[in-house]
Amino acid sequence: MRQVIFLLVLIFLMSCKKLISPPAINAPNNYLVVNGSIVSGDSTIINLSRTFNITTGAAQPKPELNATVTIEGSQGQSYALTPKNNGNYVSAALNLSAAQTYRLKITTSNGKQYASDFVPLKNAPPVDSLGYAITANGLQINLNTHDATNSTHYYRWDYAETYQVHSEYNSRLIVIDKDTTRLRTADEEIYNCWVTNLSNDIILGSSAKLSNDVISRQQVALIPSNSEKLMVKYSILVKQYALTSDAYNYYTLLKKNTEQLGSIFDAQPSALTGNIHSLSNPSEPVIGYVTAGAITQSRIFVDNGSLPGGWVAYRPYYNGCYIFRELYDDVDPSTGYDTREVQLYVYPGFETPIDTLNYPGPGLKTSKPYCVDCTLRGTNKQPAFWK
Amino acid sequence: MKKIYLSIILLLAVKLLSAQNLPTKAISVNFQNANAEQFAHELELKSGYHFYYDPEKFDSLKVTLQATDKTLDDILNVAFHNTIYHYAIVSAKKQVFLTTGREIRTQVAPGYFNNKPGAVQPIAVAPVTEFTDDVKQPVIEATIENKLYEVGVKTSTIKPGNSTLSGYVKDSKSGSAIAGASITVAGTKAGVITDQFGYYTMVLPRGREVLNIRGLGMKDTRRQIILYTDGDLNIELLQQVTRLKEVKVSGDKVANVRGVELSVSKLDIKSIKQVPAVFGEADVLRVILTLPGVQTVGEATTGFNVRGGAADQNLILLNDATIYNPAHFFGFFSAFNPDIVKDVELYKSSIPEKFGGRISSVLEVTDREGNKKLFTGSAGIGLLTSRLNIEGPIVKDKTSFIFGGRTSYSDWLLNLLPEAYKHSHASFYDLNLDISHQIDKNNNIYLTTYLSNDNFRLNSDTTYNYSNKNANIKWKHNFSNKFFGVFTTGVDRYSYDISSAQVPVDGYKLNFAINQTNLKADFTYYLGSQHTLDFGFSSIYYSLNPGDEEPFGSGSLVVPDVVPGEHALESAIYLGDKYDVTPDLSISAGLRFSIFNYLGAHTVDNYAPNLPRIPANVVDSTTYGANKVIKTYNHPEIRISARYNINDDLSVKAGYNTLAQYIHQLSNSTAISPIDVYKLSDPNIKPQFGSQVSLGLFKNVQANTIETSVEVYYKRINNYLDYKSSAVLLLNQHIEQDVLSTEGKAYGVEFSLRKNTGKLNGWINYTYSRTFLRQDDPNAGELINKGAWYPANYDKPHSFNFAGNYRFTHRYSVSLNVTYSTGRPITLPIAEYYSLGSERVLYSDRNAYRIPDYFRSDFSLNIDGNHKVHQRFHNSWTIGVYNLTGRQNAYSTFFQEQGGIINGYQLSIFARPIPFINYNIRF
Repeated sequence: MRQVIFLLVLIFLMSCKKLISPPAINAPNNYLVVNGSIVSGDSTIINLSRTFNITTGAAQPKPELNATVTIEGSQGQSYALTPKNNGNYVSAALNLSAAQTYRLKITTSNGKQYASDFVPLKNAPPVDSLGYAITANGLQINLNTHDATNSTHYYRWDYAETYQVHSEYNSRLIVIDKDTTRLRTADEEIYNCWVTNLSNDIILGSSAKLSNDVISRQQVALIPSNSEKLMVKYSILVKQYALTSDAYNYYTLLKKNTEQLGSIFDAQPSALTGNIHSLSNPSEPVIGYVTAGAITQSRIFVDNGSLPGGWVAYRPYYNGCYIFRELYDDVDPSTGYDTREVQLYVYPGFETPIDTLNYPGPGLKTSKPYCVDCTLRGTNKQPAFWK
Repeated sequence: MKKIYLSIILLLAVKLLSAQNLPTKAISVNFQNANAEQFAHELELKSGYHFYYDPEKFDSLKVTLQATDKTLDDILNVAFHNTIYHYAIVSAKKQVFLTTGREIRTQVAPGYFNNKPGAVQPIAVAPVTEFTDDVKQPVIEATIENKLYEVGVKTSTIKPGNSTLSGYVKDSKSGSAIAGASITVAGTKAGVITDQFGYYTMVLPRGREVLNIRGLGMKDTRRQIILYTDGDLNIELLQQVTRLKEVKVSGDKVANVRGVELSVSKLDIKSIKQVPAVFGEADVLRVILTLPGVQTVGEATTGFNVRGGAADQNLILLNDATIYNPAHFFGFFSAFNPDIVKDVELYKSSIPEKFGGRISSVLEVTDREGNKKLFTGSAGIGLLTSRLNIEGPIVKDKTSFIFGGRTSYSDWLLNLLPEAYKHSHASFYDLNLDISHQIDKNNNIYLTTYLSNDNFRLNSDTTYNYSNKNANIKWKHNFSNKFFGVFTTGVDRYSYDISSAQVPVDGYKLNFAINQTNLKADFTYYLGSQHTLDFGFSSIYYSLNPGDEEPFGSGSLVVPDVVPGEHALESAIYLGDKYDVTPDLSISAGLRFSIFNYLGAHTVDNYAPNLPRIPANVVDSTTYGANKVIKTYNHPEIRISARYNINDDLSVKAGYNTLAQYIHQLSNSTAISPIDVYKLSDPNIKPQFGSQVSLGLFKNVQANTIETSVEVYYKRINNYLDYKSSAVLLLNQHIEQDVLSTEGKAYGVEFSLRKNTGKLNGWINYTYSRTFLRQDDPNAGELINKGAWYPANYDKPHSFNFAGNYRFTHRYSVSLNVTYSTGRPITLPIAEYYSLGSERVLYSDRNAYRIPDYFRSDFSLNIDGNHKVHQRFHNSWTIGVYNLTGRQNAYSTFFQEQGGIINGYQLSIFARPIPFINYNIRF
């Protein structure tokens, strides 16, 4: 609707739209972004990256490598994190004390120092139960938890969902050395895979208004009834974090700050201020909010057999999948020219063989790789937790 | 002949200076349709006086009169009352002179032989800066000014002490009231200003006084009176006959220095008309934007910000009716018809206690009263709009009407646009009809109505429609000449709807409406010479439809969505006293007590105490029945201002006021838009409070022709509503979850210079002002800019305005308008990053950046037809250029993703010089 008004303003002949490049946007904005939280009782994974300028639609994250990351306790303890790939820094499992507060300290490769505020250890209570409900909109994953000590109140969850997928076509054959095919072994099966996605929503809950610290039937995820995720078997692992009220407010705002860009009639966005600061230059923005505490988690499985029969998977991923009939020797009767289709399309990998072909001649039934090979988006190795 | 009379007068005056006794012999007469000869003869016989007159000039005199035991003076007085005939009695010689038109004075004017300083000062002669066509009758004027009017019950000796003089100041030509005329007692600093009905009351010492009267657009004049007891004196003023000279002999001439109020700007329509406007049509609101302390967020908006207040914190009144949307065409035109408007008054600081309900300013637009003597009218033709106004008497001298209408025909302009916009449509109209009726001397009734409508459609898709409807009736009653009251009742409505049926399945219509019913009574009581009391009450019943969406067209599958209606009662009582402590020190102090009741039927969500208002924290909800009081707020509001005259043309003034506002406009876009939502205060949304201190120094130079002032102010605002990121305002059932309570502070200094007379006139001002907001709502859940102060959208530190008019001859004048201001603040997205599984955008601190500075100059040439006063039609042309330099001022900066690439754009409106032409005719 705002857009429409904007158009009205535009229609006046006298108006004029001019491309500009505000210096603030083109300045090399290269702020440190800190993701992750200090974990008690398990290993801590902190990811460091840099902001990038608003120029392209799909940008690659810019990991921050070769930094020194430590967790410091208020009584002087220090725990180092080991750099891994992609800007991840990992610690050993730490047993932190609830009597102390902790902070993250970072020294980047260019020598700049950053530190978070000291944050109290807030250990998440166990997840009482993770369940699901069949609703008109789809499968709702929900969660119950409570804190008998009445001290948590603010919660955040994220999840990793794993689901079984099937390829559009079941391939019996595998190309060997780009010049022949043979039957697949069990390990080489590419029809049945497991795909894992991480949550990209910020899921928050609060019991602050209640007299007891109880979270009941909190929706964690909602899977549309026609989702491919539910076609075979679905599993979700939900991690539960306890937050301070400040952290809760930070995540609430981050959730509200969508990816919209300020057009003239759009709502006012606002800057987000985390709890990490530059020690070298206090005015330098640093993005992220560090929390600390033990994480609890819970997993459930949902088998397709327990879902309504009317829920049929819609798989747009396989749009454009057809079976091709490729011949070893395709002789054009009018010209006598021989096209060796299998050699041309299948052996180099442009198409993946499904089965052998006898008519109209010796050859292979094939299809495009994504229609046949589910390892392109998952793994054909059953995860250890799968049952 | 003229000379002879003058000689006689002078001779007689000198001779008879000490012989002023009038004939006391009582006579009885009975005239039935007597002609001049019979009349004079009879009186000569009975009184023994000899009559001198010109029979030719008295050939139409017919007298019907019965009198018993009356003096000659009384009989003549009754016979000639309200006629063109005058008489003069020279008792020493037993002579009576009868004249027509002119009057013989048998005494010299006061002060003629009395040059003692301070006794009766000679009338300050206003600098002769203008030429008057009216040279033929200077004697008449002089005579009128020099006549001694006797007021009250005549007594042989005048008791020392004070009496009350009251009456109306009217336009001699149209009979309409002149508001804001100043009446000052010569030689003193005492004076009053007529009210909106042209009524005045003043307390002054009994005896001989000279009153100087000045009215906006009227000739300065004076009256000599002998005040015996309390009495009435109606004063008729002559218009500035040469209407084309944009000269104002302003009623405010001394008001700048003498008035108690600070920061009040009054503009009459003449000043407004000479400022070049974008399509050549005088625009009340655009001129307001050139005043010091007034800002706007953008060019195509009529929302304005006064001294750091938000746009919804201005109370806009058209003849006491609240106008919620003062704009047509998204702000390209203001809603006020320039042909009907008489004057505009903007209160920035000293808001009289009778006003309330908004915390920033009051803009009072007053229509003219219809001509009570003859039918007149005017018409104007512009590129996009035409207008017509007609006025005249219904009952001569008693009842009159004024009607004004405007309509647009902009579709031709839209048809010139590219195909994509060709099927758009935009139109508006507005109508004013005002009737005033004088029942008798003490009772007047005024009926004012206003209707405006805007309709536009974009690309045959969405249709927008919005409308103001106002009607009120006012009864003014004089209880005595010291005490009068005005009773007003009326209804105000603002509504809009948006509909679309392009996709039949999605066809919808969204409605929104505010209705308010007003009742108020305002009383003024003149208590002695030093006190003027104002008191009264007001009550407004609000009924809001905050939005409902319904299916539009057959086949629509839209599910109706209705936000429940809101009701409230806002009431206030007030009392104020203007106290003249000494002639140099005046204090105006008032108290307004406002009460707001939020009424059912409504269901209110209850949030857990001390927690953010988010869905997770809704504990339960309470449903209230119809007219049940859900929540009551009240607030005492203080209004104080004081003025001290350091000398005659230099004064210092100070003011302090506090205000409360119970209705909020919810708009999270930078521009005011017709589809903004209004919300009443409720248990979850507190009223806004504002307070301001201001101090000013006022100096008039060059015989009051140049007014200068410096004013400083500091203002605090509490509970102003700002918005959470991505707030949804339309059709939001839980609006309190999307708004944040913020506090604001604003301060500034305003320098102003205004020249009202002369060939070159206009004003120039510079303002340095800052406005900051800070989020202080503990229950909002998010902190904008970490809870630090941030500049408001309309924070433009430097602002400079020049509006000037230079008259070459009486027919040609040029106007120039120059505006500069700092660009307004914006929030920019500055970077992207990945966090918690998604790509996210990093914004700068709110309003951390600014769009480029704004500069614009407009020019117009006004050509008037000939200046003959008596002709059927008067016509005039206005030709000009808006945005002379063609500067591409940024209206806004925004970002759009196109093909995966995000680009920044700057939008400019009126980005090139725009010529315009306008033709006006008056009849």
